[in-house]
Amino acid sequence: MISSFVQVSIDGFARGLILAMLGAAITLVFGLGSILNIAIGAFTVFAVIVAVWSTTVVVHPFAGAIVGIAAVALLSLVVDQVMLSSVYRSEGEERITVGIFTTLGLEIMLASMLAVMFTASYGVSHDSFLLHVGDVRIRSSSLLIIAVASAVLGVLFLFLRNTYLGKATRTVFQDEIGAQLCGINPRRIRTLIFVLSGILAGIAGILWSVQAPMRPGDAFTFTVFAIIVSIVGGVRNIRGTIAAGVLLGLVWTYANFWIGSWIAMVILFSVAIVVLILRPEEIS
Amino acid sequence: MTEAIAGGHERASSLWLAAVFGILAVAPFIIVGPGATFRARLLLTVLIFACFAIALDIVFGQTDQLFLFLGALAGVGAYSVAGVTDWMGISPWIVLPFAALLAGLIGLTVSYVASRRRMTIIVIAILTLSLQLVSEVVFDSWISLTGGTTGIFFDGLEIPFLIGLFDSIFDPRVGGRIATYYFLLFGLVIIVLLYRHMMRSKYGLAYRAIRQDEIAAESVGINVIKYKVIAGFSAAFIVGAVGPFYAQSEAVVTPSLFTFVRVDVIVLIMLVLGGMRTLTGPIIGAAFVVYLNELLRFAERWTTAIFGFLLIILFLYFREGVIPKGRELWYERGGQALMRNLRMRLSGG
Repeated sequence: MISSFVQVSIDGFARGLILAMLGAAITLVFGLGSILNIAIGAFTVFAVIVAVWSTTVVVHPFAGAIVGIAAVALLSLVVDQVMLSSVYRSEGEERITVGIFTTLGLEIMLASMLAVMFTASYGVSHDSFLLHVGDVRIRSSSLLIIAVASAVLGVLFLFLRNTYLGKATRTVFQDEIGAQLCGINPRRIRTLIFVLSGILAGIAGILWSVQAPMRPGDAFTFTVFAIIVSIVGGVRNIRGTIAAGVLLGLVWTYANFWIGSWIAMVILFSVAIVVLILRPEEIS
Repeated sequence: MTEAIAGGHERASSLWLAAVFGILAVAPFIIVGPGATFRARLLLTVLIFACFAIALDIVFGQTDQLFLFLGALAGVGAYSVAGVTDWMGISPWIVLPFAALLAGLIGLTVSYVASRRRMTIIVIAILTLSLQLVSEVVFDSWISLTGGTTGIFFDGLEIPFLIGLFDSIFDPRVGGRIATYYFLLFGLVIIVLLYRHMMRSKYGLAYRAIRQDEIAAESVGINVIKYKVIAGFSAAFIVGAVGPFYAQSEAVVTPSLFTFVRVDVIVLIMLVLGGMRTLTGPIIGAAFVVYLNELLRFAERWTTAIFGFLLIILFLYFREGVIPKGRELWYERGGQALMRNLRMRLSGG
């Protein structure tokens, strides 16, 4: 009983860190420019498919993963320049609405294009083995996910805390006009952060696919995960988002293991609904 | 132009409304030939989605409450009618009002909580989207209640005396669908007339005031929560009432009918395309999108991708509606003068 609890906890923690990355991808973009990027799930699946597909050329799955991440970075850059430039032209409440619907359209478009072209399910391959620590059997893939995700989130924090660009990003978060007075170009920062969020989503997807292969049809599920995590953590609060990701990852994995998968989904949504009702002012 | 309902071109808009309903009334005679069950079903789909789009217009267009769980509400209506009819062995017509009421009460609750908690558009959107997705999971997985992905066979909502009539006029294969079509058309006329009546009364004024400035509206004594809740209830009631007919047109209640992409996204495209806060916009939008879907049949599995692209373009460039924008351009470019000129030449010989 205790050993299975530890096993499930480790898996849940790994999954939670992935959710945290997805949530951070939403939070960064929303905090910076009030665009709720519904297309994040399509980015996630896109990175995985490119990674798997390119492995046939570059041989090693790790190289494939790099290609996938590079591809999703490029895709985000194109989306930012072509589509979001028009969205940023509107202001306030209207920008939020337009942002939701254009990224929703993008999500539907990308996900269904991928669904037409790639019909199987895709996962980056990794020779997973079981580590025996006393009674507890730990999946090596979970450890891999924990290591990579912690490193990525750590780098994200260091970037935001210590680099010039990171500080500029936080300045725009807090006060856009103030940032402009300091000579920061918010539009540039937004592009940078949007590409960064695409990369985060891509890494999250690739890590996820190591344990559970995904289909293009799953794209919307990842969007929903990302939004729920971001809401529960407070959409403008990166630390909160990461804590929420880990927490929800654990709760969801426990519920999945002991109660059943669809009830686990219902619990996940219910948490989001309760948080929305209790703290609607967080998101506006 | 967006305020066409509130007056201005009063007479023109009445004529326009009459014309649209006239076309809908004769459409089966023109479009549906003998044995053309497919076309009859398409016509039915237009009316069903027109009702959904009007409901969304009432709640989103008038009060800025973006309900993204129309699929779930339609599902609640359809599953309750199919389930209770099965379970109690009574006519679905008796269950229908209660099912609609149930959906309406859900809408009422959401509206009440949302306006009590002063939720912005985006919060309501995410809240209702979460409700939509949770309902999809329940429809899919609570198999003892919903029959899972196989669904529940459902065809009880027929109108016997009308079917006899249309069987003899058309064809026994399409008679049932045409009967439902005219029944829904009757419902649609009532909804639109009530909506128009409402917008011409103090409700219309109140909604306009709330939309422009909620706090100012409150300060002149408008009970903002009450008006929002009324809009939420009406919209959800309509969707809940039409939901069972939607299931009936497919002959089965299955989860795939009530998904976010299949209902909410499509209804949103219809409404924005046709024009929000116009009476005929949702109907024209619905007809256009259903027609477009048929035109895109050659694209097969790419159709959904095309609709995604359409959503992007609509919201980037045609936010106030394609038809209103077209009409605006028509007036700007002197389309009327052109027509007058043409008429004079024709009559002058």
